[in-house]
Amino acid sequence: MRVAIADDSVIVREGLARVLDDRHLSVIGLAENAEQLLALIEAEHPDVAILDIRMPPTQTDEGLVAADVIRGRFPDVGVLVLSQYTDVAYALRLLKGDEKGRGYLLKDRITAVDELVDALERINAGECVVDHELISALLANPARSDRLAALTPRERDVLALLAEGLTDRGIGQRLWLSQSTVETHVRHILQKLDLPTGTAHNRRVHAVLTYLDR
Amino acid sequence: MSWRVGAAAALAVGVTDVSLFAHQGAPLSDLVIGTAVNAITITAGLVVWTSRPTSRMGLLITVWGICGFLADTPSLVPDSRVIATIGLPLILLPSAVYAHMVFAYPTGRIVDRVDRFAAGAIYAAAFLWSLPLLIWSDPTGCAECTPHVPSLLFIGQIKRLRLIGQGFSVIFIALGAIFVLLVLRRFRRAAPGVRRTLWPLALAAVFGGAQFIARSAADLFGFASWQETLLWLDRAAGVAVPVALAIGVLFTRRARGAVGNLVVELGHVQPGGVRDALAKAIGDPTLELALWLTDRNTWIDEHGREVEIANMPGRAVTFIGDELAAIVHDSDLADQQALLEAAGSAARLALENERLHAELRAQLEELRASRARIVRAGDDERRRLERDLHDGAQQRLLGVGLALQLVRSRVPTGEAAELVAEAEQELREALRELRNLARGIHPAVLVDQGLDSAIKTLARRSPVPAHVSFDGERLPPHVETAAYFVVAEALANIAHHADAGHVDITVRRENGSAIVEIRDDGRGGADVAGSGLQGLADRVRSLDGRFSVHSPPGAGTSVTAEIPCG
Repeated sequence: MRVAIADDSVIVREGLARVLDDRHLSVIGLAENAEQLLALIEAEHPDVAILDIRMPPTQTDEGLVAADVIRGRFPDVGVLVLSQYTDVAYALRLLKGDEKGRGYLLKDRITAVDELVDALERINAGECVVDHELISALLANPARSDRLAALTPRERDVLALLAEGLTDRGIGQRLWLSQSTVETHVRHILQKLDLPTGTAHNRRVHAVLTYLDR
Repeated sequence: MSWRVGAAAALAVGVTDVSLFAHQGAPLSDLVIGTAVNAITITAGLVVWTSRPTSRMGLLITVWGICGFLADTPSLVPDSRVIATIGLPLILLPSAVYAHMVFAYPTGRIVDRVDRFAAGAIYAAAFLWSLPLLIWSDPTGCAECTPHVPSLLFIGQIKRLRLIGQGFSVIFIALGAIFVLLVLRRFRRAAPGVRRTLWPLALAAVFGGAQFIARSAADLFGFASWQETLLWLDRAAGVAVPVALAIGVLFTRRARGAVGNLVVELGHVQPGGVRDALAKAIGDPTLELALWLTDRNTWIDEHGREVEIANMPGRAVTFIGDELAAIVHDSDLADQQALLEAAGSAARLALENERLHAELRAQLEELRASRARIVRAGDDERRRLERDLHDGAQQRLLGVGLALQLVRSRVPTGEAAELVAEAEQELREALRELRNLARGIHPAVLVDQGLDSAIKTLARRSPVPAHVSFDGERLPPHVETAAYFVVAEALANIAHHADAGHVDITVRRENGSAIVEIRDDGRGGADVAGSGLQGLADRVRSLDGRFSVHSPPGAGTSVTAEIPCG
């Protein structure tokens, strides 16, 4: 997999490159800001671009703005946004459409390289990835647990993985379930929560996240 | 002293006139009346001039009297060609000076631009009128003409002379009408206190203007039989002005009765009401009051706002006491100096009091502004701190984490690998704590995504189920920050003390203010002073907002903040 990295912190940029290199991923270039990253993508066409949400000049949400530009100009390049914000609103801004291969991870995740590489692979495969800490925070909220009272404990586990962006197959692997069992759970969950069934994977993630964020 | 000067001057004029009469034998009535009018005028002028040297009014009146005398010379010495040459251009000069004087009342200077222009036009017409007569008029043999001889500039008679004279009559009628209109305009615009002394002069001036128009009309249409009557009216109009000035002074004296009322009124005036009482007593609704703050070296008004005492056209300043107060008023009131000073003296004590109040108000205003500045500076500092944490400590810890990843891949199993995993775990905890700390210092989501998202995140983290109802668009940043901390602190309180089952958070806009309400169904009885609520109250009030906590025991707590968005 060919990866580009954009982060204004040299420690993170260089360190991340070394770690990924160590895992035999091909880091094709490093950028300090969104502008450099776009030039890099144009020249090298990586599979996935990793970018910090906070970059110069305003240090607020440049990463999300750049992700929008990448979607328009390079639709087949995956995007992983690293953020320190646990607000779902940011993740929803990234996953608003039906685009493929988008990920929103907390920046801490780069210190767990297995999870990071797993996320990169899923993004490269066109899946969506949402940090599990965001999802567990959403599900831990007591106000929300009332609305989810109709779900069985197992269905709640499946819902959490659904929200993290896993496919039915991925959920099956995590929970040691057959794919058809997962499919049944998913159908039940969507019916109980009054969400549309049978939509594409990425739309389903967006719908579940929006529901949980309400 | 002044009276003596006046009397001496009048005597001099009288003697000169009488000697000329004795020499030439002009009609007695003309002489007596003319001399009396000029003498009275010059005397009045000198009195005013010596008693009020700063006002140019006295000078103008004196000049007017002297011009009246000079203008009479051609009629007193009608047979001299020299006198005719000098005297003809002077005949209408008193009328022009008269207009000038009325326009310039009471300061002696014409303030209004239109008035100044009109005075200039009147002077020009009064002089130009004489030129054709000097050059083409030969009144020899005309009994009622003044003078009886042509001037030294005479070059020969022309037929058109009469037509030119009629043209000037038309111009004079027009100028007379303009003069009357300007006087009326001035009176209509004057402050009530000014009208009190202006009306006799205005009346006299309108009368003078009217008789001037009538005289010009008589000239134009050749009504010779009017001349006698009009001459009397002319004299009467001349006397009317000094009389009017005297009446004005009389009314100023009477206006001092208003000072007595002022003293009574000041006995029960409210703080901030001294200006109104003064305005009423002096009769100038536009009056402005300025109080001197010695320790700040500045003027403030009765509301505690800083003001400037500027020298504006049409305004005059009267100072009261040593470094106490000043009143800025209509400059026409400047001739009522005695009234202004009397009113100022009467109001002294009340003004001292008023100054203390205004000073207090100014200090409060300053305090309020500085409190707002401190809160804002605090918010800015929080943002800076959050950014420093993000750019510094967080990045370095991430660097350590990345290094640990490299170590782990080189230490496959055993105790060393376990220690690395432990270190990784610790590091992740540290990063999480740092993230929460940064967020508590200043939530970036507030800036990026707005209050709506920020409050929803707060609600999501609340251990007590919270429902958010958010109505409206983005608010000014300092309002959003205040509203955010109100909700955050209230939710923290509810989590710790309220024992509640549910929270309702409402944010809405009403009359230009953001209203934030947090209501729980807990046990109530919250202690405002003892909790973080006091800090919130301070923060909200620093933005001129209102903060209230309603917490009856056993019936839940509702915290409401109303923050102006202006």
